[in-house]
Amino acid sequence: MDWLEQELKHALERKEPPPGFAARVAAAAAGGAVQARRPVRMLPRWLPAAAAVLLIAGGGAAYREHQGRVAKDRVMLAMRITAGKLNHIQSHMREAKP
Amino acid sequence: MIELESAEQTGFDFAGLVREHQSMVFSLSYHFLHDRELAEEVSQEVFLALHRHMADIKSGEHAVFWLRKVAAQRAIDAARRRKRRPQVALEEVAEPAARAVVDDPMLRDVLRRLVATLPEAPRMVMVMRYQEDLDPTEIAEVLEVPVATVKSHLQRSLALLREKLQRRGVGGY
Repeated sequence: MDWLEQELKHALERKEPPPGFAARVAAAAAGGAVQARRPVRMLPRWLPAAAAVLLIAGGGAAYREHQGRVAKDRVMLAMRITAGKLNHIQSHMREAKP
Repeated sequence: MIELESAEQTGFDFAGLVREHQSMVFSLSYHFLHDRELAEEVSQEVFLALHRHMADIKSGEHAVFWLRKVAAQRAIDAARRRKRRPQVALEEVAEPAARAVVDDPMLRDVLRRLVATLPEAPRMVMVMRYQEDLDPTEIAEVLEVPVATVKSHLQRSLALLREKLQRRGVGGY
């Protein structure tokens, strides 16, 4: 075993866990009041990307729906204006008749 | 063939196993993950798993083998969950100011950090070899990989560490 391996043995020698570790494990195993720290539950890596896709897709659908409503309102407005104009012309024609 | 008794029959004490092996399990996780808090969580998971499998434990030796195996698996899982392979980039490892001397705590810290930058499989092999003093055959059994793979990981990792240290003007005494 050369110098590097000897140094590695020292560098990687066993370390004691934080104080109270055994008691926390025993309590968690017994389902006791002292709760062991919960393991870190990392969110899946794809979750933010999936959420972003859903948001974009949902936003796109909402925008298209909004555009449809605007177009419909414009058509209705145009029809009302046209009807008004026609009524106006019709009343003029009636007045012009002898 | 003599059938070994289960842990319950032989009267294994769970709390006793935790006390006896907590430093082994914690250190395996800590040297692999280089993160004390995460190492503690992993170690707790390992012992809780042992608690659920106490009936399968046949002997003290079996308990040690089982704990090493499960600690290695759980530490690798935790590292994958963390999704940050080496916590310390190789470039960030501080350079020792001068040529290393025996019992140099700074060199050991550098070595721990360099080991933490190794990829998963060779890192766990190195921890098993130098923390637990296991030979390649024993490491191969615990990690369920061919002995040749273990030897290859050891050789390559040592060569890499040696190169990094020599580049920093350390070693070779």
